[in-house]
Amino acid sequence: MRRPDIALVPSFQRAASRVVIRRTANYQQDLAAVIYEALAVFDLPVKGKTVLLKPNLVGFDPLCEMNTHPYVIAAARESFLRLGAAQVLIGDGPAMDRDTEAILESVRLREFTGPLGANFVDLNLDDVKRVALRTRASRLKELYLPKTVLGVDFLVSMPKLKTHHWAGVTLSLKNMFGIVPGGCYGWPKNVLHWAGIDNSILDINAASRPDFAIVDGIVGMEGNGPIQGTPKPSGVLVLGDDPVAVDATCCRVMGLRPEKVKYLNAAGTLLGHLDAAKIQQLGERVESVRTRFAVLDEFKELREPQGGVWN
Amino acid sequence: MTPAGDNLDSQNLATESVFAANFCLPLIRTAQNPDGGWGFQPGLRSRVESTCWAVLALRAQESSASLSDIPARGLEFLRKAQLADGSWPASAEVNSGSWVTALACWVLAADARTRDAVAAGVKWICNDWPRDSATWRRWRARLFSPRKITEHNDSYRGWGWTPRTSSWVEPTSFALIVLASTPAQILPKSAARRRQLARRMLYDRMCPGGGWNCGNPMVYGVPGEPLIVPTVWALLALRDAPKRPEFVMSLDWLERNIGKARGAGSLALARIGMEVAGRKWPQGAPTIAEMYGRNEFLQNIAVASWVCLAARQRHSWLTGNVAEFS
Repeated sequence: MRRPDIALVPSFQRAASRVVIRRTANYQQDLAAVIYEALAVFDLPVKGKTVLLKPNLVGFDPLCEMNTHPYVIAAARESFLRLGAAQVLIGDGPAMDRDTEAILESVRLREFTGPLGANFVDLNLDDVKRVALRTRASRLKELYLPKTVLGVDFLVSMPKLKTHHWAGVTLSLKNMFGIVPGGCYGWPKNVLHWAGIDNSILDINAASRPDFAIVDGIVGMEGNGPIQGTPKPSGVLVLGDDPVAVDATCCRVMGLRPEKVKYLNAAGTLLGHLDAAKIQQLGERVESVRTRFAVLDEFKELREPQGGVWN
Repeated sequence: MTPAGDNLDSQNLATESVFAANFCLPLIRTAQNPDGGWGFQPGLRSRVESTCWAVLALRAQESSASLSDIPARGLEFLRKAQLADGSWPASAEVNSGSWVTALACWVLAADARTRDAVAAGVKWICNDWPRDSATWRRWRARLFSPRKITEHNDSYRGWGWTPRTSSWVEPTSFALIVLASTPAQILPKSAARRRQLARRMLYDRMCPGGGWNCGNPMVYGVPGEPLIVPTVWALLALRDAPKRPEFVMSLDWLERNIGKARGAGSLALARIGMEVAGRKWPQGAPTIAEMYGRNEFLQNIAVASWVCLAARQRHSWLTGNVAEFS
């Protein structure tokens, strides 16, 4: 069982976070070897435990442009099993389309992970438990969250590297919207929009902070993401034990300023490290893999200046 | 369609009926919880929504008197799950109503003994106004929003998934279906106006080129992609105006896209939509039995129920007509 009390720690009391960037040209590489090698750095407490991988499965996507690629999901699953996990589940609660089976089939997940019956949890339909929110970023005082998410030993957020037309970016923290069950809140989970997207992201992550994050940045999405944007080859996997630090690093890889992403800036106070000085960067340097992502005009302040000029 | 095509279609339906009887009905029957309800999957706690679909499926399929106790216990679960304000919650842990109120009213409307419960539910539905389309909100958005995100007409109002949020296609369709089949004596006075506004909302939210997604036909000027599930529910809610261009365009979209269906839930609902609208099932479309072989529908009770309903030749379950159930 995960410990919710370690989610909220003031930044100044939190030890430095570690983030690994791996250059990964395409999905045909031996991703399991890449991820296993990167995970080994962290000495994760998963031996004999139940791990839940929470990919970003947004919608029907035969070209795998908007969802976490099934190769990456399968590779992560294999890696956690090699690290000694007793069980590695995959779970998500798609937000816009209640035909989860169609989404899974569209990305052919079954072909990479084997039969999904025992391994996949539709978080939209799972039994729920009332969780009183420990933070009050939004007006929500409580959430009903899937028992599987609350009951596993180790939760891994596995987003795709994308811009988002309402939140600026969608990475490991925003990906946690998917644990909020459609079976209680509908498709989409409109209550969260009414409570404020940025603030809901904070409350959800305070209630169930991922223990680890693996971001599929091999091909991301820029512009009008998370669904209607443009595929953006970026050639990276970003991994870490602090979802805020991972997301901040991803922003820097995308040529965006994490402190300008509202929810990420707020998350840097209690949920993890935003400050690059508090993030131990392993693997590739950010500068060596930076791929500037286009954003909608509404988010132009997120862009990092290029050569002293704001583009 | 040619007579040969007709034969193909009826063979296909017969195959699906056998499949539903051999695989889906046993799954539904054995998944009933001791409290009479069904979870979304076997072994999960009972929910109003999954119970509604299971009861509809069983009533439409079962003729044996020995099995009639199963849906009856489901109805009893639904009766007990109603909240004091007349609504039904999405989950027993939740203490406020939601879209499942329409589904519960739909299922219970077939039983004269639950007339009061249905009346209270329908009253709750008619009193539940989405917040996004309130006049002051629309004016505020017009004055202060720097850029229009969506292009639909917010003065049309349907229903949300949860109270006091925004109008969406599926909950609006469910409410329209139940209001159309509720006896006039127990309908609140506001029902006619609500239906009118909701129908306009659905027409307005149709995606360019036909079909519906959850309710965002255009975001930042980019057309949304329709989905089979909301498209079918909207078509069923609007089926009394089959000559409207929106209806025809959306039915055409459905027919064109059945071959791309990847989930059994979508496929089963597509069959219902096509049959209710009088269209023939397209040749070469995937079969539900093929899909079962992949993931066993992820053991989803709602999907198994829709498959059972799709295997019916008549769809009087849509109107709450109890005659076919007996």
